[in-house]
Amino acid sequence: MKRVFGLALGILTAIGGFVDIGDLVTNAVVGSRFGLSLAWAVLVGVVGICIFAQMSGRVAAVSGRATFELIRERLGPRVAVMNLGASFLINLMTLTAEIGGVALALQLVSSVNYLLWVPFAAIAVWLVIWRVKFKIMENVAGLVGLCLIGFAVGLFLLGPDWNELGRQVLQEVSTGTEKATTYWFYAVALFGAAMTPYEVFFFSSGAVEEGWTTKDLAESRANVLVGFPLGGLLSLAIAGCAAVVLLRELIGVTALSQVMLPVAMAGGKLLLAFIILGVVAATAGAALETTLSAGYTIAQFLGWPWGKFRPPAQAARFHLLMIICLLVGIGTLMTGVDPIQVTEFSVVFSAVALPLTYLPILIVANDPEYMGEHVNGRILNGAALVYLVIILAAALAAIPLMIITGAGQ
Amino acid sequence: MTDDDNQDQRWLDAQLHLLDRQVLDVHGVPIAVVDDLQLSEVPMGVEIPQDTPPPVITALLSGPALARRIFGGRPPESRMIHTPWVAVRDVGVVIKLSVGRDTRDLSWTERWVRDHVIGHIPGGRHTPKGENNEPAQSNERGGS
Repeated sequence: MKRVFGLALGILTAIGGFVDIGDLVTNAVVGSRFGLSLAWAVLVGVVGICIFAQMSGRVAAVSGRATFELIRERLGPRVAVMNLGASFLINLMTLTAEIGGVALALQLVSSVNYLLWVPFAAIAVWLVIWRVKFKIMENVAGLVGLCLIGFAVGLFLLGPDWNELGRQVLQEVSTGTEKATTYWFYAVALFGAAMTPYEVFFFSSGAVEEGWTTKDLAESRANVLVGFPLGGLLSLAIAGCAAVVLLRELIGVTALSQVMLPVAMAGGKLLLAFIILGVVAATAGAALETTLSAGYTIAQFLGWPWGKFRPPAQAARFHLLMIICLLVGIGTLMTGVDPIQVTEFSVVFSAVALPLTYLPILIVANDPEYMGEHVNGRILNGAALVYLVIILAAALAAIPLMIITGAGQ
Repeated sequence: MTDDDNQDQRWLDAQLHLLDRQVLDVHGVPIAVVDDLQLSEVPMGVEIPQDTPPPVITALLSGPALARRIFGGRPPESRMIHTPWVAVRDVGVVIKLSVGRDTRDLSWTERWVRDHVIGHIPGGRHTPKGENNEPAQSNERGGS
Protein backbone atom coordinates (compact mmCIF):
# COMPACT_ATOMS: atom_id res chain seq x y z
CA MET A 1 0.00 0.00 0.00
CA LYS A 2 2.82 2.34 0.92
CA ARG A 3 4.47 1.58 -2.41
CA VAL A 4 1.30 2.37 -4.33
CA PHE A 5 1.00 5.62 -2.43
CA GLY A 6 4.63 6.48 -3.13
CA LEU A 7 4.15 5.76 -6.81
CA ALA A 8 0.99 7.86 -7.02
CA LEU A 9 2.67 10.69 -5.16
CA GLY A 10 5.67 10.58 -7.49
CA ILE A 11 3.49 10.66 -10.58
CA LEU A 12 1.34 13.51 -9.28
CA THR A 13 4.49 15.43 -8.40
CA ALA A 14 5.88 14.89 -11.88
CA ILE A 15 2.67 16.20 -13.45
CA GLY A 16 2.55 19.28 -11.25
CA GLY A 17 6.28 19.85 -11.58
CA PHE A 18 6.40 19.57 -15.36
CA VAL A 19 4.89 22.95 -16.20
CA ASP A 20 6.94 26.07 -15.46
CA ILE A 21 6.75 29.70 -16.53
CA GLY A 22 8.36 28.83 -19.87
CA ASP A 23 5.69 26.25 -20.68
CA LEU A 24 2.90 28.53 -19.45
CA VAL A 25 3.92 31.53 -21.51
CA THR A 26 5.11 29.76 -24.65
CA ASN A 27 2.05 27.53 -24.86
CA ALA A 28 -0.31 30.44 -24.36
CA VAL A 29 1.51 32.57 -26.93
CA VAL A 30 1.51 29.74 -29.43
CA GLY A 31 -2.14 28.90 -28.75
CA SER A 32 -3.16 32.52 -29.29
CA ARG A 33 -1.29 32.76 -32.61
CA PHE A 34 -1.25 29.29 -34.14
CA GLY A 35 -4.07 27.45 -32.35
CA LEU A 36 -3.14 23.84 -31.72
CA SER A 37 -1.17 23.49 -34.96
CA LEU A 38 2.09 23.24 -32.97
CA ALA A 39 0.82 20.54 -30.60
CA TRP A 40 3.26 18.15 -32.29
CA ALA A 41 6.22 20.19 -31.01
CA VAL A 42 5.04 19.73 -27.41
CA LEU A 43 4.61 16.02 -28.09
CA VAL A 44 8.11 15.69 -29.55
CA GLY A 45 9.54 17.61 -26.58
CA VAL A 46 7.72 15.50 -24.00
CA VAL A 47 8.92 12.22 -25.51
CA GLY A 48 12.46 13.65 -25.58
CA ILE A 49 12.45 14.75 -21.96
CA CYS A 50 11.04 11.34 -20.94
CA ILE A 51 13.89 9.54 -22.71
CA PHE A 52 16.69 11.67 -21.30
CA ALA A 53 15.28 12.38 -17.84
CA GLN A 54 14.83 8.70 -17.05
CA MET A 55 18.29 8.00 -18.53
CA SER A 56 19.95 10.64 -16.35
CA GLY A 57 18.00 9.38 -13.32
CA ARG A 58 19.11 5.83 -14.03
CA VAL A 59 22.76 6.87 -14.40
CA ALA A 60 22.54 8.76 -11.09
CA ALA A 61 20.82 5.88 -9.30
CA VAL A 62 23.24 3.21 -10.52
CA SER A 63 26.55 5.10 -10.48
CA GLY A 64 25.84 7.91 -8.01
CA ARG A 65 27.08 10.45 -10.57
CA ALA A 66 25.01 13.48 -11.44
CA THR A 67 24.81 14.88 -14.96
CA PHE A 68 27.31 17.72 -14.82
CA GLU A 69 30.07 15.55 -13.34
CA LEU A 70 29.64 13.38 -16.42
CA ILE A 71 29.61 16.31 -18.81
CA ARG A 72 33.05 17.38 -17.63
CA GLU A 73 34.40 13.87 -17.43
CA ARG A 74 33.30 12.89 -20.93
CA LEU A 75 33.68 16.16 -22.84
CA GLY A 76 36.84 17.47 -21.15
CA PRO A 77 37.20 20.83 -19.46
CA ARG A 78 37.18 23.03 -22.56
CA VAL A 79 33.89 21.87 -24.05
CA ALA A 80 32.41 21.41 -20.58
CA VAL A 81 33.23 24.98 -19.60
CA MET A 82 31.40 26.23 -22.71
CA ASN A 83 28.42 24.10 -21.78
CA LEU A 84 28.71 25.29 -18.18
CA GLY A 85 28.74 28.93 -19.25
CA ALA A 86 25.73 28.49 -21.52
CA SER A 87 23.74 26.30 -19.12
CA PHE A 88 24.50 28.54 -16.18
CA LEU A 89 23.39 31.69 -17.99
CA ILE A 90 20.22 30.06 -19.28
CA ASN A 91 19.57 28.73 -15.82
CA LEU A 92 19.99 32.19 -14.36
CA MET A 93 17.59 33.58 -16.95
CA THR A 94 15.06 30.87 -16.21
CA LEU A 95 15.47 31.45 -12.48
CA THR A 96 14.82 35.16 -13.00
CA ALA A 97 11.78 34.39 -15.13
CA GLU A 98 10.35 31.95 -12.57
CA ILE A 99 10.70 34.43 -9.70
CA GLY A 100 9.11 37.05 -11.92
CA GLY A 101 6.32 34.55 -12.59
CA VAL A 102 5.68 34.02 -8.88
CA ALA A 103 5.61 37.80 -8.37
CA LEU A 104 3.27 38.36 -11.35
CA ALA A 105 0.86 35.70 -10.09
CA LEU A 106 0.89 37.27 -6.63
CA GLN A 107 0.25 40.66 -8.21
CA LEU A 108 -2.92 39.26 -9.78
CA VAL A 109 -4.24 38.23 -6.37
CA SER A 110 -3.10 41.26 -4.42
CA SER A 111 -3.06 44.21 -6.85
CA VAL A 112 0.33 45.04 -5.36
CA ASN A 113 2.92 45.76 -8.05
CA TYR A 114 4.92 42.64 -8.86
CA LEU A 115 8.22 44.43 -8.26
CA LEU A 116 7.32 44.60 -4.58
CA TRP A 117 6.69 40.86 -4.52
CA VAL A 118 10.01 39.98 -6.16
CA PRO A 119 12.24 40.19 -3.04
CA PHE A 120 9.70 38.28 -0.97
CA ALA A 121 9.42 35.54 -3.56
CA ALA A 122 13.21 35.23 -3.77
CA ILE A 123 13.63 35.16 0.01
CA ALA A 124 10.92 32.49 0.29
CA VAL A 125 12.78 30.41 -2.31
CA TRP A 126 16.00 30.81 -0.37
CA LEU A 127 14.37 29.85 2.95
CA VAL A 128 13.01 26.66 1.45
CA ILE A 129 16.42 25.78 0.01
CA TRP A 130 18.07 26.62 3.32
CA ARG A 131 15.82 24.64 5.64
CA VAL A 132 13.18 22.42 4.04
CA LYS A 133 13.79 18.74 3.33
CA PHE A 134 14.30 17.89 -0.32
CA LYS A 135 11.42 15.41 -0.45
CA ILE A 136 8.92 17.78 1.18
CA MET A 137 9.99 20.63 -1.09
CA GLU A 138 9.48 18.51 -4.19
CA ASN A 139 6.15 17.02 -3.13
CA VAL A 140 4.47 20.21 -1.93
CA ALA A 141 5.40 22.21 -5.02
CA GLY A 142 4.36 19.37 -7.32
CA LEU A 143 1.05 18.62 -5.62
CA VAL A 144 -0.09 22.24 -5.36
CA GLY A 145 1.07 22.69 -8.96
CA LEU A 146 -1.56 20.12 -9.89
CA CYS A 147 -4.09 22.97 -9.54
CA LEU A 148 -3.03 23.77 -13.11
CA ILE A 149 -5.49 21.04 -14.06
CA GLY A 150 -7.85 24.00 -13.93
CA PHE A 151 -6.66 24.75 -17.48
CA ALA A 152 -8.01 21.41 -18.64
CA VAL A 153 -11.25 21.99 -16.72
CA GLY A 154 -11.46 25.46 -18.25
CA LEU A 155 -11.01 24.06 -21.75
CA PHE A 156 -13.95 21.69 -21.23
CA LEU A 157 -16.11 24.44 -19.72
CA LEU A 158 -15.40 26.66 -22.71
CA GLY A 159 -17.17 24.01 -24.76
CA PRO A 160 -14.95 24.40 -27.82
CA ASP A 161 -15.61 22.95 -31.23
CA TRP A 162 -13.48 19.81 -30.80
CA ASN A 163 -13.49 19.09 -34.52
CA GLU A 164 -12.02 22.50 -35.15
CA LEU A 165 -9.31 21.92 -32.52
CA GLY A 166 -8.63 18.52 -34.04
CA ARG A 167 -8.21 20.11 -37.46
CA GLN A 168 -5.72 22.58 -35.99
CA VAL A 169 -3.65 19.74 -34.54
CA LEU A 170 -3.41 18.04 -37.93
CA GLN A 171 -2.81 21.22 -39.89
CA GLU A 172 0.78 21.36 -41.02
CA VAL A 173 1.63 25.01 -41.29
CA SER A 174 -0.66 27.70 -40.04
CA THR A 175 -2.30 29.81 -42.69
CA GLY A 176 -3.23 33.44 -42.24
CA THR A 177 -0.86 36.25 -41.50
CA GLU A 178 1.86 34.24 -39.73
CA LYS A 179 5.03 33.47 -41.65
CA ALA A 180 6.53 29.99 -41.85
CA THR A 181 9.71 31.14 -40.09
CA THR A 182 7.69 32.38 -37.11
CA TYR A 183 5.92 29.03 -36.99
CA TRP A 184 9.24 27.19 -36.85
CA PHE A 185 10.65 29.66 -34.34
CA TYR A 186 7.83 28.79 -31.98
CA ALA A 187 8.25 25.08 -32.70
CA VAL A 188 11.86 25.40 -31.45
CA ALA A 189 10.70 27.46 -28.46
CA LEU A 190 8.10 24.86 -27.44
CA PHE A 191 10.67 22.11 -27.85
CA GLY A 192 13.17 24.07 -25.74
CA ALA A 193 10.53 24.78 -23.08
CA ALA A 194 9.71 21.08 -22.77
CA MET A 195 13.32 19.88 -22.77
CA THR A 196 14.97 22.67 -20.69
CA PRO A 197 18.38 21.40 -19.54
CA TYR A 198 17.80 22.31 -15.90
CA GLU A 199 15.25 19.51 -15.74
CA VAL A 200 17.89 16.80 -16.19
CA PHE A 201 20.40 18.60 -13.94
CA PHE A 202 17.73 18.71 -11.27
CA PHE A 203 16.41 15.23 -11.90
CA SER A 204 19.79 13.51 -11.77
CA SER A 205 21.05 15.54 -8.82
CA GLY A 206 17.73 14.92 -7.07
CA ALA A 207 18.29 11.19 -7.50
CA VAL A 208 21.61 11.57 -5.66
CA GLU A 209 19.97 13.81 -3.03
CA GLU A 210 17.36 11.17 -2.32
CA GLY A 211 19.95 8.39 -2.37
CA TRP A 212 18.28 6.37 -5.13
CA THR A 213 19.61 2.91 -5.78
CA THR A 214 18.83 0.36 -8.46
CA LYS A 215 15.76 -0.63 -6.37
CA ASP A 216 14.19 2.75 -7.11
CA LEU A 217 14.58 2.47 -10.86
CA ALA A 218 11.12 1.09 -11.60
CA GLU A 219 9.44 3.79 -9.57
CA SER A 220 11.44 6.60 -11.13
CA ARG A 221 10.70 5.27 -14.59
CA ALA A 222 6.97 5.23 -13.83
CA ASN A 223 7.15 8.80 -12.49
CA VAL A 224 8.76 10.03 -15.67
CA LEU A 225 6.87 7.94 -18.21
CA VAL A 226 3.43 8.67 -16.73
CA GLY A 227 3.96 12.00 -14.99
CA PHE A 228 5.71 13.94 -17.75
CA PRO A 229 3.26 13.05 -20.54
CA LEU A 230 0.35 14.05 -18.30
CA GLY A 231 2.24 17.27 -17.57
CA GLY A 232 2.54 17.68 -21.35
CA LEU A 233 -1.24 17.36 -21.61
CA LEU A 234 -1.53 20.27 -19.18
CA SER A 235 0.70 22.27 -21.53
CA LEU A 236 -1.63 21.43 -24.40
CA ALA A 237 -4.64 22.44 -22.31
CA ILE A 238 -3.03 25.85 -21.80
CA ALA A 239 -2.49 26.16 -25.54
CA GLY A 240 -6.03 24.90 -26.13
CA CYS A 241 -7.59 27.53 -23.86
CA ALA A 242 -5.61 30.23 -25.63
CA ALA A 243 -6.59 28.82 -29.03
CA VAL A 244 -10.30 28.84 -28.22
CA VAL A 245 -10.54 32.32 -26.73
CA LEU A 246 -7.50 34.41 -27.63
CA LEU A 247 -7.01 33.22 -31.22
CA ARG A 248 -10.60 34.05 -32.09
CA GLU A 249 -10.48 37.45 -30.41
CA LEU A 250 -7.01 38.19 -31.84
CA ILE A 251 -5.61 38.89 -28.37
CA GLY A 252 -1.81 38.61 -28.19
CA VAL A 253 -0.30 37.23 -25.01
CA THR A 254 2.01 39.80 -23.46
CA ALA A 255 1.15 39.32 -19.79
CA LEU A 256 0.45 36.48 -17.40
CA SER A 257 -3.14 37.71 -16.91
CA GLN A 258 -3.84 36.95 -20.57
CA VAL A 259 -2.64 33.37 -20.08
CA MET A 260 -5.35 32.98 -17.46
CA LEU A 261 -8.06 35.02 -19.19
CA PRO A 262 -9.74 32.06 -20.94
CA VAL A 263 -10.00 30.14 -17.67
CA ALA A 264 -11.54 33.12 -15.92
CA MET A 265 -14.10 33.40 -18.71
CA ALA A 266 -14.95 29.73 -18.48
CA GLY A 267 -14.89 29.02 -14.78
CA GLY A 268 -15.27 32.36 -13.04
CA LYS A 269 -13.51 33.48 -9.92
CA LEU A 270 -13.30 30.09 -8.24
CA LEU A 271 -11.48 28.39 -11.10
CA LEU A 272 -9.30 31.48 -11.55
CA ALA A 273 -8.24 31.34 -7.89
CA PHE A 274 -7.45 27.67 -8.37
CA ILE A 275 -5.33 28.40 -11.44
CA ILE A 276 -3.44 31.26 -9.77
CA LEU A 277 -2.58 28.95 -6.88
CA GLY A 278 -1.35 26.42 -9.43
CA VAL A 279 0.73 29.04 -11.25
CA VAL A 280 2.32 30.25 -7.99
CA ALA A 281 3.19 26.69 -7.00
CA ALA A 282 4.46 25.72 -10.43
CA THR A 283 6.66 28.79 -10.85
CA ALA A 284 7.89 28.68 -7.24
CA GLY A 285 8.68 24.98 -7.66
CA ALA A 286 10.59 25.73 -10.85
CA ALA A 287 12.37 28.65 -9.13
CA LEU A 288 13.58 26.17 -6.51
CA GLU A 289 14.67 23.71 -9.19
CA THR A 290 16.56 26.31 -11.21
CA THR A 291 18.25 27.80 -8.15
CA LEU A 292 19.40 24.37 -7.04
CA SER A 293 20.45 23.54 -10.60
CA ALA A 294 22.62 26.66 -10.70
CA GLY A 295 24.39 25.34 -7.61
CA TYR A 296 24.50 21.76 -8.88
CA THR A 297 26.10 22.58 -12.24
CA ILE A 298 28.99 24.67 -10.90
CA ALA A 299 29.58 22.50 -7.82
CA GLN A 300 29.67 19.36 -9.95
CA PHE A 301 31.95 20.91 -12.54
CA LEU A 302 34.45 22.00 -9.87
CA GLY A 303 33.98 19.01 -7.58
CA TRP A 304 32.62 20.91 -4.59
CA PRO A 305 30.47 19.23 -1.95
CA TRP A 306 26.85 19.89 -2.86
CA GLY A 307 23.35 18.86 -1.96
CA LYS A 308 20.50 19.66 0.34
CA PHE A 309 21.09 16.46 2.28
CA ARG A 310 24.16 18.11 3.83
CA PRO A 311 23.88 20.92 6.36
CA PRO A 312 24.60 24.20 4.53
CA ALA A 313 27.91 24.54 6.41
CA GLN A 314 29.04 21.26 4.83
CA ALA A 315 28.33 22.58 1.35
CA ALA A 316 29.23 26.20 1.96
CA ARG A 317 30.29 27.29 -1.54
CA PHE A 318 27.23 25.58 -3.04
CA HIS A 319 24.91 27.55 -0.77
CA LEU A 320 26.79 30.83 -1.22
CA LEU A 321 26.54 30.42 -4.99
CA MET A 322 22.77 29.94 -4.83
CA ILE A 323 22.39 33.04 -2.64
CA ILE A 324 24.37 35.05 -5.21
CA CYS A 325 22.21 33.69 -8.05
CA LEU A 326 19.01 34.71 -6.25
CA LEU A 327 20.44 38.20 -5.63
CA VAL A 328 21.32 38.50 -9.33
CA GLY A 329 17.78 37.39 -10.17
CA ILE A 330 16.26 40.04 -7.88
CA GLY A 331 18.59 42.68 -9.31
CA THR A 332 17.70 41.79 -12.90
CA LEU A 333 13.96 41.95 -12.23
CA MET A 334 14.35 45.24 -10.38
CA THR A 335 15.64 46.89 -13.55
CA GLY A 336 12.05 46.56 -14.73
CA VAL A 337 12.80 44.02 -17.46
CA ASP A 338 9.63 42.21 -18.54
CA PRO A 339 9.65 38.72 -16.96
CA ILE A 340 7.56 37.38 -19.84
CA GLN A 341 10.23 38.44 -22.34
CA VAL A 342 12.98 36.95 -20.18
CA THR A 343 11.00 33.71 -20.29
CA GLU A 344 10.68 33.74 -24.05
CA PHE A 345 14.42 34.27 -24.48
CA SER A 346 15.30 31.60 -21.94
CA VAL A 347 13.35 28.85 -23.73
CA VAL A 348 14.98 29.65 -27.07
CA PHE A 349 18.49 29.69 -25.62
CA SER A 350 17.66 26.44 -23.84
CA ALA A 351 17.33 24.83 -27.24
CA VAL A 352 20.88 25.95 -28.10
CA ALA A 353 22.46 24.28 -25.06
CA LEU A 354 20.64 20.98 -25.43
CA PRO A 355 23.13 18.86 -27.45
CA LEU A 356 26.11 19.33 -25.12
CA THR A 357 23.93 18.33 -22.18
CA TYR A 358 22.26 15.24 -23.56
CA LEU A 359 25.17 13.68 -25.45
CA PRO A 360 27.29 12.86 -22.34
CA ILE A 361 24.28 11.29 -20.62
CA LEU A 362 23.81 8.99 -23.58
CA ILE A 363 27.52 8.07 -23.66
CA VAL A 364 27.69 7.21 -19.97
CA ALA A 365 24.36 5.37 -20.01
CA ASN A 366 26.12 2.95 -22.37
CA ASP A 367 29.28 2.54 -20.29
CA PRO A 368 29.30 -0.75 -18.36
CA GLU A 369 31.93 0.58 -15.96
CA TYR A 370 29.28 2.94 -14.62
CA MET A 371 26.11 1.10 -15.38
CA GLY A 372 26.90 -2.62 -15.05
CA GLU A 373 23.86 -4.54 -16.29
CA HIS A 374 21.76 -1.38 -16.43
CA VAL A 375 23.22 -0.05 -19.68
CA ASN A 376 20.80 1.26 -22.31
CA GLY A 377 18.93 -1.21 -24.46
CA ARG A 378 19.05 -1.01 -28.25
CA ILE A 379 15.62 0.49 -28.73
CA LEU A 380 16.33 3.23 -26.20
CA ASN A 381 19.67 3.97 -27.86
CA GLY A 382 17.97 4.15 -31.24
CA ALA A 383 15.36 6.59 -29.96
CA ALA A 384 18.01 8.64 -28.15
CA LEU A 385 20.10 8.90 -31.34
CA VAL A 386 17.08 10.07 -33.32
CA TYR A 387 16.52 12.67 -30.63
CA LEU A 388 20.12 13.83 -30.73
CA VAL A 389 19.60 14.63 -34.42
CA ILE A 390 16.41 16.57 -33.63
CA ILE A 391 18.11 18.35 -30.73
CA LEU A 392 21.04 19.31 -32.91
CA ALA A 393 18.74 20.62 -35.63
CA ALA A 394 16.78 22.68 -33.08
CA ALA A 395 19.98 24.01 -31.53
CA LEU A 396 21.39 25.09 -34.89
CA ALA A 397 18.12 26.64 -36.03
CA ALA A 398 17.29 28.49 -32.81
CA ILE A 399 19.48 31.60 -33.11
CA PRO A 400 19.02 32.15 -36.88
CA LEU A 401 15.26 31.80 -36.50
CA MET A 402 15.30 34.23 -33.61
CA ILE A 403 17.16 36.80 -35.70
CA ILE A 404 15.03 36.33 -38.84
CA THR A 405 11.74 36.56 -36.96
CA GLY A 406 12.84 39.26 -34.50
CA ALA A 407 12.14 36.80 -31.65
CA GLY A 408 8.76 35.84 -33.03
CA GLN A 409 7.40 39.35 -33.64
CA MET B 1 51.85 3.40 -5.58
CA THR B 2 52.21 3.49 -9.34
CA ASP B 3 49.62 2.45 -11.84
CA ASP B 4 50.92 -1.00 -12.39
CA ASP B 5 51.36 -2.12 -8.80
CA ASN B 6 47.62 -1.55 -8.32
CA GLN B 7 46.29 -4.75 -6.79
CA ASP B 8 44.15 -5.92 -9.67
CA GLN B 9 46.82 -4.96 -12.24
CA ARG B 10 44.32 -2.73 -14.04
CA TRP B 11 45.57 -0.43 -16.79
CA LEU B 12 44.64 3.14 -16.15
CA ASP B 13 44.42 5.61 -18.97
CA ALA B 14 45.32 8.97 -17.44
CA GLN B 15 43.00 10.81 -19.82
CA LEU B 16 40.09 8.42 -19.42
CA HIS B 17 40.32 7.24 -15.82
CA LEU B 18 42.04 10.04 -13.93
CA LEU B 19 41.61 13.46 -15.50
CA ASP B 20 38.33 15.21 -14.72
CA ARG B 21 37.25 12.54 -12.24
CA GLN B 22 35.56 13.48 -9.01
CA VAL B 23 37.79 13.09 -5.92
CA LEU B 24 36.16 11.99 -2.66
CA ASP B 25 37.81 12.13 0.75
CA VAL B 26 37.91 9.22 3.21
CA HIS B 27 34.34 10.00 4.34
CA GLY B 28 32.97 10.06 0.81
CA VAL B 29 32.67 13.86 0.70
CA PRO B 30 33.53 15.46 -2.66
CA ILE B 31 36.69 17.57 -2.50
CA ALA B 32 37.64 18.42 -6.03
CA VAL B 33 38.00 17.20 -9.55
CA VAL B 34 41.35 16.03 -10.91
CA ASP B 35 42.33 19.08 -12.93
CA ASP B 36 45.76 17.84 -13.92
CA LEU B 37 48.47 15.33 -13.00
CA GLN B 38 52.02 15.85 -11.84
CA LEU B 39 54.56 13.38 -13.19
CA SER B 40 58.00 12.60 -11.81
CA GLU B 41 60.79 14.64 -13.38
CA VAL B 42 61.56 13.94 -17.00
CA PRO B 43 64.88 15.49 -18.04
CA MET B 44 64.33 17.97 -20.84
CA GLY B 45 66.60 18.32 -23.84
CA VAL B 46 68.77 15.31 -23.11
CA GLU B 47 68.61 11.92 -24.69
CA ILE B 48 66.87 9.44 -22.42
CA PRO B 49 68.72 6.13 -21.97
CA GLN B 50 66.90 3.02 -23.13
CA ASP B 51 66.42 1.39 -19.70
CA THR B 52 65.13 4.45 -17.80
CA PRO B 53 61.95 3.62 -15.84
CA PRO B 54 58.88 5.48 -17.15
CA PRO B 55 57.80 8.56 -15.17
CA VAL B 56 55.27 7.92 -12.43
CA ILE B 57 52.38 10.05 -11.24
CA THR B 58 53.40 11.93 -8.12
CA ALA B 59 50.35 14.07 -7.43
CA LEU B 60 46.87 15.09 -8.49
CA LEU B 61 46.72 18.80 -9.21
CA SER B 62 43.87 21.21 -8.87
CA GLY B 63 43.20 24.91 -8.73
CA PRO B 64 44.98 26.95 -11.43
CA ALA B 65 45.66 23.71 -13.28
CA LEU B 66 42.10 23.86 -14.63
CA ALA B 67 42.55 27.32 -16.08
CA ARG B 68 45.76 26.13 -17.69
CA ARG B 69 44.00 23.28 -19.41
CA ILE B 70 41.21 25.51 -20.64
CA PHE B 71 43.09 28.66 -21.61
CA GLY B 72 46.70 27.50 -21.85
CA GLY B 73 49.61 29.33 -20.24
CA ARG B 74 51.68 28.14 -17.32
CA PRO B 75 51.03 29.42 -13.78
CA PRO B 76 53.95 28.90 -11.33
CA GLU B 77 54.18 25.41 -9.89
CA SER B 78 53.95 26.82 -6.36
CA ARG B 79 50.36 27.93 -6.92
CA MET B 80 49.17 24.45 -7.81
CA ILE B 81 47.34 22.56 -5.11
CA HIS B 82 48.85 19.08 -4.82
CA THR B 83 47.29 15.91 -3.53
CA PRO B 84 50.09 13.34 -3.29
CA TRP B 85 49.43 10.14 -5.20
CA VAL B 86 50.12 8.08 -2.05
CA ALA B 87 46.89 9.48 -0.58
CA VAL B 88 44.90 7.80 -3.35
CA ARG B 89 43.12 4.73 -2.04
CA ASP B 90 41.00 3.64 -4.98
CA VAL B 91 40.37 4.59 -8.59
CA GLY B 92 36.91 3.73 -9.85
CA VAL B 93 34.20 5.90 -11.34
CA VAL B 94 35.39 8.27 -8.61
CA ILE B 95 38.81 8.63 -7.02
CA LYS B 96 38.83 7.95 -3.30
CA LEU B 97 41.46 9.33 -0.94
CA SER B 98 42.58 7.82 2.36
CA VAL B 99 42.59 11.22 4.10
CA GLY B 100 39.92 13.60 5.37
CA ARG B 101 39.25 16.76 3.39
CA ASP B 102 40.01 19.11 6.24
CA THR B 103 43.64 18.07 6.11
CA ARG B 104 43.98 19.14 2.50
CA ASP B 105 44.85 22.59 1.21
CA LEU B 106 42.46 21.72 -1.54
CA SER B 107 39.38 22.74 0.36
CA TRP B 108 40.56 25.99 1.94
CA THR B 109 37.99 28.03 -0.04
CA GLU B 110 35.25 25.73 1.20
CA ARG B 111 36.43 26.20 4.78
CA TRP B 112 36.76 29.97 4.32
CA VAL B 113 33.20 30.34 2.99
CA ARG B 114 31.91 28.08 5.75
CA ASP B 115 33.66 29.97 8.55
CA HIS B 116 33.09 33.49 7.27
CA VAL B 117 29.73 33.40 5.50
CA ILE B 118 27.50 30.36 5.64
CA GLY B 119 28.30 29.40 9.25
CA HIS B 120 27.13 32.81 10.42
CA ILE B 121 23.66 32.59 8.87
CA PRO B 122 21.15 31.14 11.37
CA GLY B 123 20.49 27.49 10.65
CA GLY B 124 23.63 27.12 8.62
CA ARG B 125 24.90 24.19 10.63
CA HIS B 126 21.52 22.52 10.89
CA THR B 127 21.13 19.04 9.43
CA PRO B 128 17.82 18.58 7.61
CA LYS B 129 16.15 15.97 9.81
CA GLY B 130 15.07 12.65 8.41
CA GLU B 131 17.04 13.21 5.26
CA ASN B 132 18.99 10.38 3.84
CA ASN B 133 22.43 11.45 4.91
CA GLU B 134 24.20 8.86 2.82
CA PRO B 135 24.50 10.04 -0.75
CA ALA B 136 24.11 7.43 -3.43
CA GLN B 137 27.85 7.63 -3.98
CA SER B 138 28.24 4.60 -1.70
CA ASN B 139 26.96 2.25 -4.36
CA GLU B 140 29.20 3.05 -7.29
CA ARG B 141 30.61 0.29 -9.38
CA GLY B 142 33.92 -0.71 -10.80
CA GLY B 143 37.45 -0.26 -9.61
CA SER B 144 37.19 -2.48 -6.56
